[in-house]
Amino acid sequence: MLIDVNAWVGHWPFKRLHGNTCEGLLARMKEYGTDVSLVTNLNGIFYKNTQSANEELYEEVHSKKAYKDRFIPFAVINPIYGGWKDDFEVCVKKLGMKGIRVFPNYHDYSITEPALLELVKMARDSNIPVALTMRMVDERQRSWMDLATEWAIKDYLPLLQAVPDAKYMLLNLSTGVALSAEEEALLKKTDVLFDTSGRHIGHLAKFAQRFGEERFAFGTHFPVLDYYTGLLRIDSLRAEEGDKEQYRCRNAQRFLGL
Amino acid sequence: MRNTINRRNFMRNVAASASGMLLGNSLLAAAAENTPAVAEKTPADRMKQVLSYRKLDAHVHLGLSKDGPEVNVDFMERLGIQRMFLSKPVTKPVATPDDFRAANDVILKAMRQYPGKLTGMLTLNPLYPKESLEEIKRCTGEGMIGVKVYYQVKISDPLFYPIVEKLIDLKMIMLMHAETTLGIAGYRMKYDRRMKPNASRPEDFISIAARYPEAMFQFAHIGGGPDWEYACKALKHSPNVYVDTSGSNNENNMVEFAVQQLGVDRVLFGSDNMYYQSVGKLIDARLTDAEKRKIFFDNYNNILKKGGYHVD
Repeated sequence: MLIDVNAWVGHWPFKRLHGNTCEGLLARMKEYGTDVSLVTNLNGIFYKNTQSANEELYEEVHSKKAYKDRFIPFAVINPIYGGWKDDFEVCVKKLGMKGIRVFPNYHDYSITEPALLELVKMARDSNIPVALTMRMVDERQRSWMDLATEWAIKDYLPLLQAVPDAKYMLLNLSTGVALSAEEEALLKKTDVLFDTSGRHIGHLAKFAQRFGEERFAFGTHFPVLDYYTGLLRIDSLRAEEGDKEQYRCRNAQRFLGL
Repeated sequence: MRNTINRRNFMRNVAASASGMLLGNSLLAAAAENTPAVAEKTPADRMKQVLSYRKLDAHVHLGLSKDGPEVNVDFMERLGIQRMFLSKPVTKPVATPDDFRAANDVILKAMRQYPGKLTGMLTLNPLYPKESLEEIKRCTGEGMIGVKVYYQVKISDPLFYPIVEKLIDLKMIMLMHAETTLGIAGYRMKYDRRMKPNASRPEDFISIAARYPEAMFQFAHIGGGPDWEYACKALKHSPNVYVDTSGSNNENNMVEFAVQQLGVDRVLFGSDNMYYQSVGKLIDARLTDAEKRKIFFDNYNNILKKGGYHVD
């Protein structure tokens, strides 16, 4: 079994994406043997009313049995936009979304914004994870209309500190990963799942050794990134470097309760 | 994604999902039983495919981190790279002859340690023309096969002319660090990052390539940060400029776009020590097997062949 914990559909406003529909994603999944993908609608980063993007995703996923069978949708919630609590409730209780993504940098609020803390506590109480995306696109080749600065992993830690009993996914580890001993300790005692798509995973076995093998799962960040790199980090492990099956599916299954 | 919401269908689907628990455990069961994944390749098949391509790494370094050459060689074995063309540019604004000689000595030592696996590309600084030409003679005499330069001087600067002319004689390529980033080296300086003012942009490559059509230039790492769409479009009409696909950025469709703009023969595989991304994006590229073989191996070997430095 293979589970991709970091996939997208939708558009990026500054660049044409390829394979960015449910059909395009499913084709890659079939090619690589991926059984299930956790999928989010990129449009939710850019729509002011993110719920429109969640509804789009729901409709698309439910338009075909093959999608419904293979995709686990995640919602994008903006906790400083009107009606966000209703959005959360509808997404989790009616639309069957199994996690949320938040974008404090794109949605322009701080990591200690009280409404964000309230949202994360709601996610915790619903036993669903909160996904934090370290990088959407490489800022070195960004559009002049895109964000000029990226957040390092430590910039997200005040949230983990404020709500330490929530479940977090830290995805596409491509920005700074330098941590003080205290910061690393905080990360290690929190229920965190990393994916394998990020550039900083230069050697998966060593990175997993640092944070714990059980905390890593296959992720693509497709269609922003290519589909295979996150999987190649697992495929190319030598036998003595770890159990590949835990990265392919077991860690994701445990973390998500699948 | 369809952009329109059919409200009636949407609400019907919501009602059908009732508790919203269509997904989750039942979904895994559905994926496993009802519509099983049509895996065209098993994990073993995938690695077999990765290893089936012979690979020449046209852009890779040693000595820019604490890793020794054994790390390069480990990745060669892990990912099936036949040979690495290795350099150690001086990555600071000032690069004296002592600096670039010392850097080249690191590469020469690694070449001796791993003959047949690691081949060197020398570095120099055209601000020191006499010493640079002497260094070309010294290092090519010891088996290096090209030049790798950094951002001390723009590639189009007249200081580079004697270097380029020497490389034309030797039939060797010059790999130059490249930028296409807002606020660097002349591109949209309203976003000035106050760094690398003399780095080379696509326009600088176009200029030197037009002056020396018989020379060969390698625009570094389209995955190394540049706006790769901009770079590939700009370089389209400079047939003696190649691009390498190395770098940490493994955006989807990068390699395909380069092939579409430049033609497959001008695209080279390189890693810039970002091994997974560089192999992964080319394996995943929507290109034919023959095109991938060219990029992984043949194109760079054909460049080497011009001077008799090829692998086969």
